[in-house]
Amino acid sequence: MFSRLPFKTQKNYVVFGFVALPLLLLFTFAYYPALELIRLSFTSWDGLSPNKPWIGWSNYQEVFSNPEIFGVFKHNFAYFAVGIVQNIAAIYFAVVLNSKLKGKNFFRLLLFLPYILNGVAVAYLFGYVFDTTNGSLNYLLGQLGFGALSETSWLGNGSFVNYTLASIGFWRFMGFNMVIYLAALQSIPSDIYEAASIDGANGWQKFISITLPNIYKIIELNLFLTVTGSLEVFDLPYVLTKGGPAGASETFVMKIVETAFQFNNYGLASAMSVVLLLFVIIVLSIQRFLLNGRGE
Amino acid sequence: MKKFFSLAFVSVIMLTSLAACGGNNTSNAPATNKPAANNTATEKPDDKGTEEASTIKGKVVFLTNRTDMVDKEYVDYKKRFEEKYPGVNLTFETTTDYDQSLKVRIASGDFPDVVFVPTIPNSELPNYFTPLDDIQFSDELYFKDLKAHEGKMYGISSGGSTVGIVYNKKAFEKAGVTAVPTTYDEFLAAAQKLKDAGIVPLASNFKDKWPLDAWVYDVPTIIGEEPAHQNLRAETDTPYTLDNAYGKSWGILRELYTKGFLEKDVNSTNWEQSKKEVANGTFGMYLLGNWVINQVIENGAPSEDIGFFPFPADNSGVAKAPLNPDYFYAINKKGNVEAAKAFVKWIIEESGYDDFAGFIPTLKSKEPKLAQLAEFNSFNVKYFEPAQPVDAATQIQNKAQLDQASVVQEFVLSKDPQKVFDKVNKAWAKAKKDLGL
Repeated sequence: MFSRLPFKTQKNYVVFGFVALPLLLLFTFAYYPALELIRLSFTSWDGLSPNKPWIGWSNYQEVFSNPEIFGVFKHNFAYFAVGIVQNIAAIYFAVVLNSKLKGKNFFRLLLFLPYILNGVAVAYLFGYVFDTTNGSLNYLLGQLGFGALSETSWLGNGSFVNYTLASIGFWRFMGFNMVIYLAALQSIPSDIYEAASIDGANGWQKFISITLPNIYKIIELNLFLTVTGSLEVFDLPYVLTKGGPAGASETFVMKIVETAFQFNNYGLASAMSVVLLLFVIIVLSIQRFLLNGRGE
Repeated sequence: MKKFFSLAFVSVIMLTSLAACGGNNTSNAPATNKPAANNTATEKPDDKGTEEASTIKGKVVFLTNRTDMVDKEYVDYKKRFEEKYPGVNLTFETTTDYDQSLKVRIASGDFPDVVFVPTIPNSELPNYFTPLDDIQFSDELYFKDLKAHEGKMYGISSGGSTVGIVYNKKAFEKAGVTAVPTTYDEFLAAAQKLKDAGIVPLASNFKDKWPLDAWVYDVPTIIGEEPAHQNLRAETDTPYTLDNAYGKSWGILRELYTKGFLEKDVNSTNWEQSKKEVANGTFGMYLLGNWVINQVIENGAPSEDIGFFPFPADNSGVAKAPLNPDYFYAINKKGNVEAAKAFVKWIIEESGYDDFAGFIPTLKSKEPKLAQLAEFNSFNVKYFEPAQPVDAATQIQNKAQLDQASVVQEFVLSKDPQKVFDKVNKAWAKAKKDLGL
């Protein structure tokens, strides 16, 4: 049926056909739910009833005026701080494992493996590691002779529980960041390094002047992943601490889930989700603004 | 292919003719005590059932939270139920995270015939469920008024439970506690003895939050002798004070915490592990519902070593305990209502699920099978049946984003409990005012 049409029309049909399908999927599963989320954020829907009363901006007022809601963002800082260390470690391992090293594929696999594990499984696993009385970490510390330290309640102390949790994130995502860095490192042509060696540059100089500028874009990408990741932490505290002790490890996403599913306030929860979305965009813009100019 | 069709045809013919037989059987001889299906040992003769069986047909889907019973007890239930009602095809669907996934399905308008009532206000029950008052039970039911709206009952409890101290008798023996404590002072003395013997007196499972529900709902009932305490919060701006039922109950937990009668580190507790510890006697007691008894026994304790007594929250010496409903069965009003009603009647009266789960049966005359419940009742317990929840209190609580179990945690851990109450009361009063209640 198409063969009689002129070539140009045929081409248009094909183009349209190829573009329409992914767009349709994108709109159905990404944009429509997002728009629906924004619409719900202006209602006081309880998640069940057929009518969704429109209440204007008051959900947003609630989000910004209630310190209980907005204050939990400071718990996310620990994840961000550890995330930075995580990226530094990832670059270090990527550089080491990119050099001529025996068994480097084995070590790459070893470091990447945690990323493949399911998040909830990881959380359970670390539940046994950080347990105060029967945990393997405290047992190890005790065997090493750190008597006082082996009594530490890793997940029960409000002042560092977030760092404990973030360290699990470090263990889990460092390998992933490393793999991305590795890919970037391998794309740097080796003749640049050879030229630098001839000019008498040492390893550190090569790293600062050749490696870093070449993987700059990738660092930016990994930082973006770290920032969004630390803003959206959910599974680790949800499984391990339930936000405890006394709310010290509650994160914003946990708060959203609680608002929607425990307090049946889907409207407010939607507004909180939209705020989180805006927050990510803002943080991202700031990051791009600060880092831009150097990479170009 | 031809063979397949003829086979299918024959089986259809056979099915329909069998069904017709059943129909004849019942309409001709309603007085016989024989069930419509064959004589089976599992079934009690019940002429009422046969009468209904003829008109009851179709598919019934029951959405349940007991994933552990699939392929085990449920196979047996299906067999026995379908023997009694040959026209019905009963299927079980399970889901974890029951409440939330069911709510999503209800919101979509399509959900199974028989479900457990999700956490929705009673006033919304008629929108989704059918009234169950016309099911004829052989006896009075507990909790008739809890899931009711405007005089109609929409939910029937699957069983009841009570809350008290589940303890390891061997651990008590080892610590030299000879008599079960009946006053609060005796309880503290027993806890001290357990602690001296190197046993953790009371497993609170503090970290997991939900085990603290006993302190939110049940201990205040015992202390205040008023099961409607959660509802009464709606009438005041300061529902949580140090001298009311909440302050006193949580004060007890705080006292146990400060005296070191709970786990060594309450912020690092492990629920699954704690069952084993109670079973082997390294933990002495639980303050939980009787449902935990079977789980402790499953974890290796001989049944005769596990005891159950009412929590002595004061020094009156009177044994008091709440009587709490478990999940309520409800029937989708757009589903296969007749068959679903037959199923609910059957599961309450004949399935034996209440005994399997270790519940206090919903039928008032039926004795619980669990030995520990008999022991519990021997203390001459004064039971408090719960009051129908009032929406106002729930609304305020949701508006104030109040998670009471978290407040208990904060109350126990904080240096100044009054400050915690001040904060909560402030949020409560504000939410109450915003809602205009």
